[in-house]
Amino acid sequence: MSPGLKHRFATKPFSTEGLVRRVTPYAAWLFVGLFAVAAIFVGVARSSGAAEVAAIVLLAAIGVVTVVVYEVMRHAVRASEVAKHDAEALRHHDELLSLAIGGATVGLGLIDSETRWVEANQTLAAMLGRKVPELLDTTLIAITEPGRLAALEQQLDALRAGRTARWVGESRQVKPGGDSFPVALTIAAVTLDGTRPLFVVQESDISVAKRADAIRDAMVAVRHAIATSATWDQAASHVLGAIGTHLERDAVQFWSVDAEGDVLRLRHAWNCPDTALAEFERSCRELFLPPGQGVFGRARQSGVVAAIKSISPIGEPSLTLPARKAGLNEVVVCPVVSAGEVTGVIALLSRRPSDMQDDVMTMLTTVGSEVGQFIQRADTTAALQRSEADHRAIFEQAPIGIARVSATGELLEGNAALLRMLEHDLDVLRDQAWPDLLRSYDVAAGRSRVAPLLAGYSDGGSVQVRAATGGGRWLWLQMTATSIPDVSGRPEHVLVMVEDVTKVRVAQDKLAEALEAQQSANADLEKLDRTKTEFLSIVSHEFRTALTGIQGFSELIRDGGLESDEVRAYGGYIFNDADRVNRLIGDMLDLDRMESGRMSIRMADVDINEVLSDTIARSAPSNTVDFKPDLDPRLPIVTGDRDRLVQVVSNLVNNAIKYSPEGGVVTISSRAEGGYALITIADTGLGIPPDEIAHVFERFRRVRSGAAQSIAGTGLGLTIVKQIVEMHGGKIWVESAVGHGSAFHFTIPLAADAVTPAMQLRHG
Amino acid sequence: MAEADAPAESVTVLVADDNEVAQRLCRRVLEKAGHKVLTASDGLEAVSLALANPLDMILMDVAMPGMDGLEAMRQIKAQKPGMAIVISSAHSMASDRERFLAAGADDVLSKPFRLTDLTAVVDRLTANKSAQ
Repeated sequence: MSPGLKHRFATKPFSTEGLVRRVTPYAAWLFVGLFAVAAIFVGVARSSGAAEVAAIVLLAAIGVVTVVVYEVMRHAVRASEVAKHDAEALRHHDELLSLAIGGATVGLGLIDSETRWVEANQTLAAMLGRKVPELLDTTLIAITEPGRLAALEQQLDALRAGRTARWVGESRQVKPGGDSFPVALTIAAVTLDGTRPLFVVQESDISVAKRADAIRDAMVAVRHAIATSATWDQAASHVLGAIGTHLERDAVQFWSVDAEGDVLRLRHAWNCPDTALAEFERSCRELFLPPGQGVFGRARQSGVVAAIKSISPIGEPSLTLPARKAGLNEVVVCPVVSAGEVTGVIALLSRRPSDMQDDVMTMLTTVGSEVGQFIQRADTTAALQRSEADHRAIFEQAPIGIARVSATGELLEGNAALLRMLEHDLDVLRDQAWPDLLRSYDVAAGRSRVAPLLAGYSDGGSVQVRAATGGGRWLWLQMTATSIPDVSGRPEHVLVMVEDVTKVRVAQDKLAEALEAQQSANADLEKLDRTKTEFLSIVSHEFRTALTGIQGFSELIRDGGLESDEVRAYGGYIFNDADRVNRLIGDMLDLDRMESGRMSIRMADVDINEVLSDTIARSAPSNTVDFKPDLDPRLPIVTGDRDRLVQVVSNLVNNAIKYSPEGGVVTISSRAEGGYALITIADTGLGIPPDEIAHVFERFRRVRSGAAQSIAGTGLGLTIVKQIVEMHGGKIWVESAVGHGSAFHFTIPLAADAVTPAMQLRHG
Repeated sequence: MAEADAPAESVTVLVADDNEVAQRLCRRVLEKAGHKVLTASDGLEAVSLALANPLDMILMDVAMPGMDGLEAMRQIKAQKPGMAIVISSAHSMASDRERFLAAGADDVLSKPFRLTDLTAVVDRLTANKSAQ
């Protein structure tokens, strides 16, 4: 309440000094009256006549009335003067008050209890879009937006009833044109000298502040929606709803540029809860807005916010009808700019005209830009996530084992295939199996000239290692390591691909084995072929050597002219060589039968000592060597073919004689050894050179010496001997030292019933 | 008769053969033809005899103990490049003949041989020699 109003309606102050001053004349007059009354009573008492009494009373009464009338009239004149003075003062106050109220920057007014405007200042009238007299013809109720009436009435009731002295709040007022705007409103009750109550009304236009609040709230809500959403699809309804709610629109829509047709399609929409608006949204979903047409096309092409107050078929041929059906008039279209390109628009539609101030436009531009950036960011993030998911899937689902290893060789990660392949869980693999595998890798890498893993880098080389699984199976693993550098190019970790190549490896090994067997068979065949050729060559050489003498000497004899002793001598040469040829043929046939398994041996009990003694007896007389038999008399009988054993012994004895110098000693011994009879025939002859020892049992491998030549061997003797011994289940071998002689040993199994347990024990 | 066919000029022939029968045969045939015959039973002996004696030609066996006939021929030819050497071997396949000629033999006489072949090869080689 203004100080002026307060002054004007205040009661006058009560003055004690004035009362004293005004009472004094009355007291004087009262004293005079009392004296007169007293004089009358004295006169009456002296005269005692009734007439005289009456006259005196009358005179006294006339005197009193005169005095009273005089005083009353005097008072009346004085009161009139005071009132006149007071009115002057009041008028002055009023003028001052009007000046103050009229010049106030806030709207001020006075309403009566029916809310009729009693008084209003210019500011208020202008704010409400009216002249003061026009305003005074209306009421506060009438200019309040219908939606706010209930709140206003409630507050007015409280003020009228005196429950509250005043109300401070907000409301919305309607201008004559129908536009409404928000106001801050204060209503206070005043009482003017007991008359019906009045209300002082103070109003101020808060549309700018409200818009700023709305913009701020809208931006906060939009940013919150963006911040809490991963994708535009999630954020869209919240963003559109925030714009619609805070900027008080009826429908907010997001249209995006169609990838194929370059047209705009409705993607997301928010509406005030209203069936007509829902229907409008459904209609819009059927539409597509071509580029360059109407307010949508303008916003899209220019990249700045575009607006129209009233939608019309000229600009929006397809959108107008549905919009009008829903009662929508105004459209504001805000481009959504993503990566420098308009990828969509946000359209704000409303039924009644809305603020289209610069700050709202700026805000919408900001929203368009932020939404665009968000869509781009969300797309990038989604692409990254898809890529990450793809890679993760490759890692997880790959049929080959993949391990990620730190630069120090520690297993950081292993995929499912790796764990499955190695039959370990990740912990066991990391702590136990992996270090072993790494060592195997490095060992194999060393062999293959591949960079070792533990060195912290690798060159993509592959090695194959053998490793046991948790289930105890042995696998061949092909490991391929690749360094993954960090941004500075230093190896950060190593990716190791692990493949189970066991099957491949086994197949390879089998193939290699088969190949080797094949090669070996080929080599055997070649060798056999070579052997055959060689054999043929040797045999023909032996035959031709023998035939040289036979042919030469028989030619000499045929040509005649020889002495008879010459003829005899030549006949002897011919006979010997012919005999040698015969033996050669016999030996060859024997050997062939033995080697092809066609020679049968007739097994019987044989006293090997008897065979040895017999051979010595037959050989001794015709030779120049000394025989030294050393036969074990307790030697059990053996199982064998006697004729063949005789062949073995005589061959070895003849060899010993043949290679012994004159007067040499041939030792023949026999003893039992581990279930076998061991027979040794040793000479003190030339001995066999070490490089020849391995070949003595091969065909035609005679150790040639001048001294040996007088006894023409076939070169097959030892080969046949070896065959016979082996056919009996025995062994033959030779020890020799050049210049000291040779010792041939062979074993023949003892007869089964001849083997005593003691022997088995000793030799077993 | 062999004696009647004997050439006017007598030559000295070394017969190197480890086979005693072959030695005797050659000696008998060549002496009968009027030549002088030395014999050796192995390669080493052949080399020492060849280097120690004036010879007109050598009849060399191949398969001999110790040093074989080819090695003996190589060593003799190294010392006496002009020495006529006939390889006489029971290795008588076609490839053997090539092998011996490639090794430096002046001729090859395969065993067994006709006696006239033996005297003919001696005559031919010693005739060449005397012509030079």
